[in-house]
Amino acid sequence: MTASSTPAMVELQGVAKRYGEVNALHRVDLSIAKGEFVTLLGPSGSGKTTLLNLIAGMITPSSGRIVIDGRDATTLPTNRRGLGMVFQNYALMPHMTVFENIAFPLEVRRLSKAEIKRKVGEALELIQLGHVANRKPRELSGGQQQRISLARCIVYNPALILMDEPLGALDKKLREQMQLEIKRLHAELGITMLYVTHDQDEALTMSDRIVLMNGGRIEQQGTPDTLYFRPETVFSAEFIGSSNLIPGTVEIGADGAYALNTALGRFAAPAPERAIKAGERAVLLVRPENMALADAATPASVAGHIEDSILLGGVVRHFVRCADGSSLIIQELNQPGRSGAHRGEAVRAAWQPQHGRLLPPAPAG
Amino acid sequence: MNELFGSSRVARGLVSSMAWLCYIFLVVPSLIVIPISFGNPGQIEFPPRQFSLELYRQFFTDAAWWGSTVQSLIVACLTTLATLVLAVPAAYALARSRLPGRGGLQGLFMMPMLVPVIVLGLGLYLQYSNWGLLDTTAGLVLAHVMLTTPYIMVSVMSGLQHSDVALETVASIMGASRLRIFFRVVLPQLKISIAVGALFAFLMSLDEVVVAYFLTGTDTMTLPVKMYSSIRWELTPVLAAVSTLLTVLSLMIALGIIAMQGKTEASK
Amino acid sequence: MAQSSSASDLSPWTALLLLAPLTAVMLLILIYPLGLTVWTSLYNGRFSFDAYVELASSTLFLRVLRNTFEIAIGGTLVSLLFGYPVALHLAAQPPRKRTAYLIMVMLPFWTSILVKSFALVAVFGNQGLINQFLGFVSGGTLNVPMMFNRVGVILGMINFLLPFMILSILGSLLALDRRLILAAETMGAGPLRIFWKITLPLSLPGVLAGVLINVTLSIGMYITPALLGGRQDMMVANLVDFYTRQTLDWTAASATAVALLILSGLLVALLGKVRGSAGLAGAGA
Ligand SMILES: Nc1ncnc2c1ncn2[C@@H]1O[C@H](COP(=O)(O)OP(=O)(O)O)[C@@H](O)[C@H]1O
Ligand SMILES: [Mg+2]
Repeated sequence: MTASSTPAMVELQGVAKRYGEVNALHRVDLSIAKGEFVTLLGPSGSGKTTLLNLIAGMITPSSGRIVIDGRDATTLPTNRRGLGMVFQNYALMPHMTVFENIAFPLEVRRLSKAEIKRKVGEALELIQLGHVANRKPRELSGGQQQRISLARCIVYNPALILMDEPLGALDKKLREQMQLEIKRLHAELGITMLYVTHDQDEALTMSDRIVLMNGGRIEQQGTPDTLYFRPETVFSAEFIGSSNLIPGTVEIGADGAYALNTALGRFAAPAPERAIKAGERAVLLVRPENMALADAATPASVAGHIEDSILLGGVVRHFVRCADGSSLIIQELNQPGRSGAHRGEAVRAAWQPQHGRLLPPAPAG
Repeated sequence: MNELFGSSRVARGLVSSMAWLCYIFLVVPSLIVIPISFGNPGQIEFPPRQFSLELYRQFFTDAAWWGSTVQSLIVACLTTLATLVLAVPAAYALARSRLPGRGGLQGLFMMPMLVPVIVLGLGLYLQYSNWGLLDTTAGLVLAHVMLTTPYIMVSVMSGLQHSDVALETVASIMGASRLRIFFRVVLPQLKISIAVGALFAFLMSLDEVVVAYFLTGTDTMTLPVKMYSSIRWELTPVLAAVSTLLTVLSLMIALGIIAMQGKTEASK
Repeated sequence: MAQSSSASDLSPWTALLLLAPLTAVMLLILIYPLGLTVWTSLYNGRFSFDAYVELASSTLFLRVLRNTFEIAIGGTLVSLLFGYPVALHLAAQPPRKRTAYLIMVMLPFWTSILVKSFALVAVFGNQGLINQFLGFVSGGTLNVPMMFNRVGVILGMINFLLPFMILSILGSLLALDRRLILAAETMGAGPLRIFWKITLPLSLPGVLAGVLINVTLSIGMYITPALLGGRQDMMVANLVDFYTRQTLDWTAASATAVALLILSGLLVALLGKVRGSAGLAGAGA
């Protein structure tokens, strides 16, 4: 998945970070290809910021090696790594105008006055904010400030742009606009971007590749499709999208066909990607949109009654309470004239066995 | 509103009349010199029965008064500059490093605030008489740098606490060197704290009398020392004019400090 | 490698470089003269505690020490007696008005001690405004000496001390939860009882800090007793000056200064215990 054909922009080799007793990051190996848009996704405290700050050089690793653009950068000072960074709170210089803010990294690189003027103009053009060049950051809206801080990064064409939850302070609508804008800039400029978020939708929208973090480790990485359709752990399945998880014991038939014995019945399932032995505990994952309300018993279906139905615009979600007290979510497309399901009505939740996915059970605790 | 001292008329009357007595007692000595200074030049008088600028003429034409004023201004300016140059980088280093023993150094820098000035005056007197620094401007400035350091420290340290470290980080990521970050990112954010500290240091040096009294002689006598001996020995009415000028200057500086502090609060 | 550092942190060498000049100046101009003073008090041809033994048996020193305590404690008590009502008055004001009154309270803080001393003489002196008025009213028979004696020192002292006392008490009054008073009122407590049982006890930390600040500040006073007191009102700081300039006895001067330093150090430590060591601006002016 790591696009090994193109040379790596960043390579982490066994990088770990401890704060006293706290293992903020366990030994992590990660490679980011040139031009790639990689997202670090994970719950708060999972080590995303730590990983980003290690690459930026704001903290030094407890062990391991960091290679940036083919150069060992493990102990290289921050200001010599040639990176760009966008912060959640913008980090624009309050005492400088927008122009001066964007010109700052060019000044550092000792460009001529004329060249600075031209490049800042182009950068402002790119984010369509040419008219605010002479204002101070505090006179701008949050969204504008974040675009300025993007322009300040883009203007000096760094090898890699790091973004730590850059849209966290914006409201939903603006956030969606900015997601598209960042994607557009990435496509137009081809700069490598490493983006941190705890928002799965944002990660799915923007990334070439998602690196899912959990407790200071990489849980799974891959394209948004891979993470969504082929999660390898219960954590991945639960963190991205919503899931129905049915625990049970694995059975392997004489023909090698897998099935799971659960409290709700025995369900056939495709063979798992990582072998699970017969008799072992496992979890069957079925995405809500792969389940449907059915009237009659089908090969994979569970009886229950509708506890609640909620309308989410284009889709409807039914919450079905099963006989053993567990609950399943069914998501169906909303159609005009759809006959509504009623609360308390007895139904069956059905799915195609090939849409099920066997996962190793979640680690205890 | 709930009353801290009850709602009895007697209690309220007592409290507010005592309070007003104090307000008057606190304000009058600082301001009464102003009308007196424009009055009868021969005698201290209030309310003044005539208007005259004679006392100011006397002040500006008397070389002893005028000279000590200029000397005080020079000392205060040099002190402020030197303290800034020494204390601002030190405050920055204290705030942005993890040296062991930082607490001890900070204690050292704050110490002049806690030692009775007379003790410092004597110590410096003993030291300077050995080193031939008595009655020199350099010696006095050095002593005032020591005395004003805590005040600039306090102001700059609090400014650094309120400044945004992320801006220094982002500048560093953009490739800026430590020196450029200090001048282009840190100092501009500290502008107001530095100005407040500088004004305070200037006023402290301008008003400082005990140490100056021990260290100066005829050549380097400052205005407060001249005022001190004048109040002690002759009590000339010119003092009213001097006091007025000094008070106006002090209050202007105080207003400047308050206005700037208000500005930092407003920008939060 | 194992030690964490951050991009915004200075390297230890840079930090040392930035700290070195100021540290050098402070060692040279603060620590050295203090050490020299201690040394001078102990070494006069040979090492001895003679200077301290002599001080302890000197009637002049003991009298001055008694003066110092009397004036410092007396001034502090007067400052408390008047400062408390002022703090109450301020605490009862709406915020805008309080700011206006506070400006008056802080005014002496900004003006030169010499200006205030001069003005106090002009107001309270024998030919001062008050005595001019009294003489006018009484037809020239009444003249109350209020300067160059104990009264003068206390007047000058409290003009300097009051702002510190008021601010300290005001701090704890403003922190006081007014719902306590409301609760007491609904339970039927009268104003006097509320003051004695709630307001006063809850403001005691502020009172204690204010008293300590006042004593600490006044113990090292030099200008006020010299300009507003009489010969009988000499304080320790004046004695240091007296030994230095009048009798040229630097050993005695140093021993006296060290005694004052220890005394004031103890008070500062005590104050630090009561609250943070901040807010001691201008100790010993
Ligand atoms: N400076 C620090 N000192 C101690 N622990 C830290 C420090 N920074 C982060 N941590 C810990 O490291 C873990 C990962 O933090 P972080 O990388 O900030 O997570 P995220 O950005 O994913 O929310 C957390 O448990 C956090 O408490
Ligand atoms: Mg984070």
